[in-house]
Amino acid sequence: MTKTYNEINEKIKNGDIVVVTAEEMVKVVEDKGIRVAAEEIDVVTTGTFGPMCSSGAFLNFGHADPPIKFEHLWLNDVHAYHGNAAVDCYIGCTRMSDVRRFEYGGGHVIEDLVSGKPIRLRGNSYTTDCYPLAEVDTEFTINEINQAILCNPRNAYQRYVCAVNSSDKTLYTYMGKLLPHFGNAHYAGTGSLSPLSNDPDYETIGIGTRIFLGGGIGYIIGEGTQHSPSDQFGTIFVKGDLKQMSQEYLRGVTYEKYGTSLFVGVGIPIPILNEGLAKKTAISDKELLTDVVDYGVPRRGRPKLKQVNYEELKSGFIDLNGKKVKCSSLSSLFYARRIAETLKKWIQGGEFFLNPPAERLPTETIFIPMKQTSKLKFVKDLKRDAIICYDDCDLKTVAEKIINQNMNHIIITDRNQNLKGIVTSFDVTKAIAKDKTDLDEIITKKVIVTTDNEPIDVAARKMKQNDISALPVIDEKNKVVGIITSEELM
Amino acid sequence: MTIINITLPFGIIKDISDYSRFINEILKYDITLNILKFSTGSNGINLLIDIPEDKIKTITESLRKSNIIVNKKGRVFIDDEKCVDCGACISLCPTDALHLDFEERLEFSYEKCIGCLLCLDSCPRYAIEEM
Repeated sequence: MTKTYNEINEKIKNGDIVVVTAEEMVKVVEDKGIRVAAEEIDVVTTGTFGPMCSSGAFLNFGHADPPIKFEHLWLNDVHAYHGNAAVDCYIGCTRMSDVRRFEYGGGHVIEDLVSGKPIRLRGNSYTTDCYPLAEVDTEFTINEINQAILCNPRNAYQRYVCAVNSSDKTLYTYMGKLLPHFGNAHYAGTGSLSPLSNDPDYETIGIGTRIFLGGGIGYIIGEGTQHSPSDQFGTIFVKGDLKQMSQEYLRGVTYEKYGTSLFVGVGIPIPILNEGLAKKTAISDKELLTDVVDYGVPRRGRPKLKQVNYEELKSGFIDLNGKKVKCSSLSSLFYARRIAETLKKWIQGGEFFLNPPAERLPTETIFIPMKQTSKLKFVKDLKRDAIICYDDCDLKTVAEKIINQNMNHIIITDRNQNLKGIVTSFDVTKAIAKDKTDLDEIITKKVIVTTDNEPIDVAARKMKQNDISALPVIDEKNKVVGIITSEELM
Repeated sequence: MTIINITLPFGIIKDISDYSRFINEILKYDITLNILKFSTGSNGINLLIDIPEDKIKTITESLRKSNIIVNKKGRVFIDDEKCVDCGACISLCPTDALHLDFEERLEFSYEKCIGCLLCLDSCPRYAIEEM
């Protein structure tokens, strides 16, 4: 059995097209088998609605009088990229407001723009003979500019990892708030409803494919950046007319202490051209696997702890070494379903036709890491010998070491080099001011530490976050093997 | 087991003996309790504890005599206009007060909320507000 795009579009025109959502397709194939499903079902609709950081919009404001060639410009105090012709710009969703910072960013500008709110445009220029105007401060709405084109270089990840945190502090990440000691888990994507999971070989999803984008019509214009279909991390590059879209499917968001982003609604129709596609679109949550990844390790190669399927993820708990970890999604299944249903209605109503891709997307590419020419520095490369006092010594001994060794931080250990605490010159001064003589009274016992193989930047961030200027370096047995201070980092 | 939120207002605990008195006050009822969260804030020291349902009345009365605030009621509300039903808050909620309904929409059960406020900074839409 095979069908053509023409036959499918003819059915749409005649109003006898049969469309189901990808979730419904699972049931259809289960009940009737692949052969019958392939004959009866013409189109399967998919949907996803979640944070997609690689999103933004091209805007063209028209010329000012006298004309200006922007060098820098801001939309509601969010810096937009200008590197094109005079009055074009690109507003990216993760750029944060210069004034409101985390609270408001490019994603929120796009939401406000699409909802018809006035946007303040400020810009400046170095001026040229043809563009003499130096400054602009004005206001516009979406209908008062020439083009507003949503253009997202990476959307609709085929699947995404499930994030957990093994460390001993709460992490604020692009995967949301992750509690310490595997306190919770977050995942993204809609499983069996996910657009790219329903056509994993990119038979029908390609350049030129017409899609649901942000509540309007959009197109796939290529593979997304970091497109990595060989390990099921395919992505797409999409564009669409922002003027036709709706606020409901484009929402500015903030991930606390991480930054801003944009929730984008994407839905792709999959024509059932053959039995193979019927089978692929019937993929269930149980068959879609992803990795549980430990974000507690701040390295590119974050440890993969195990594989889970989307059925387990959607159940609200995942099992991690026998522990039930509460798990929730960052994407909205409710809106994803609404997108798949909307697309279904458009097709059934004869408003939306399917087209073959002008070109196929690559299916073999992989995502390569950054080439870094400067060698990554580790704590072991910069650490120095720690000045140590035993925990049974007195305050005077500590004070003498501070002076004789010219070191602000004295590490306190037991006789076997096990870390017990840290004392700074300030602690000693304070002790004298307050008439304290016992070392035990001034020692900081909960010490933030580092290890030999921690990258310098990670150690530096620990110091900055905790407002401290040194970290004892310990080995896996809690024995002190050195110290790193802010001086070494300068 | 039920979770209650205890607040020791600023100034109540001055030294170790105040601590001992407070702990002994609880221990004398021979109650097994799990301390779920210990935090300090501008209002004082907050303890989130898990205790047997039938001991709530005893312990609440006893603690309140020492001017300790015991709270069982919810302390947040959800702005439905802002919420996008994603679920980023759900995994943080220790009591399932925040959960998805049959339509996969976010539902908040006020009576289950114990005011731990872990969810407060997890919402990407600032849709969770403290009351």
